[in-house]
Amino acid sequence: MNNRLKVLRAERDWTQAELARALEVSRQTVNAIETGKYDPSLPLAFRIARVFGTTIEDVFRPDGAE
Amino acid sequence: MQPDPSTDPIRRPFWRSCHTTERDRRNQRRLVAWSLSWVATWTAAGLALDNGWIGTAGGGVAIVLSALLGVATLLAYRRFLRDADELRRKIELDALALAFGVGLVAGFTHWLLAEAGIVAEAEILFLLVLMVATHTLGLLVGHRRYA
Repeated sequence: MNNRLKVLRAERDWTQAELARALEVSRQTVNAIETGKYDPSLPLAFRIARVFGTTIEDVFRPDGAE
Repeated sequence: MQPDPSTDPIRRPFWRSCHTTERDRRNQRRLVAWSLSWVATWTAAGLALDNGWIGTAGGGVAIVLSALLGVATLLAYRRFLRDADELRRKIELDALALAFGVGLVAGFTHWLLAEAGIVAEAEILFLLVLMVATHTLGLLVGHRRYA
C-alpha cells in the first residue's frame, strides 16, 4: 500500500515525533508507515486522516493505483 | 484542509499529548519489576531446593510464590501488549510466534532423537532458555526491520 504521509507531514512542517505524539504512537511507527514497511490498522488510518483533516483515500492508495 | 488550531493535536503541549508514551513506559517499568521479582524468586527457590536449605513445606511455599509471581508477570505482559503502540505489539507478537514455533519444533524433534537414542534426555530448562533466546532475537530482528 502506498501513502502520502510524508508529503502531508512536510506540507505542515511537522516532524515525525510531533506527528507521532498527535497520533499517540511511537516515532518508529510513523517512520515505518512513511517508508512503506508497515501498513497501519484501520483505527490508526482513521486517526491519521483525522489529524490531517482529510480522508483515508487521500492518504492511502492500494498498490498499482493511479 | 488545515486542522482547527484550537483543537489541533500537533499544537497541544507535549505534556498533554504524550499520555500513551508515558503509559507505555509505566507498563514497561511494571513488567520489568514483576519479571525481576519472578526470576529472583524462581532462582532462590531452585537454589534452596537443590541445596536442601528448606524443607518440604518451605519448598512448597517457594514454588507457590514463584508461580504466583509468574502469573503476575503474565498479567503485566498482557497489559503491556494490550496498551502498546501497534507496531511494537506486532513486533512482540511476531517474536512470540517465532519463539513458540522454534520451541515446539525443537522440543518435539529432540524428543524423537532421544527416543531413537541419538541424543541424551535433556532438562526442560534448556527448552525454556532456547525460547527466551529466540524471543529476544525476534525482538531485535523486528526492531531492525521496522527501524
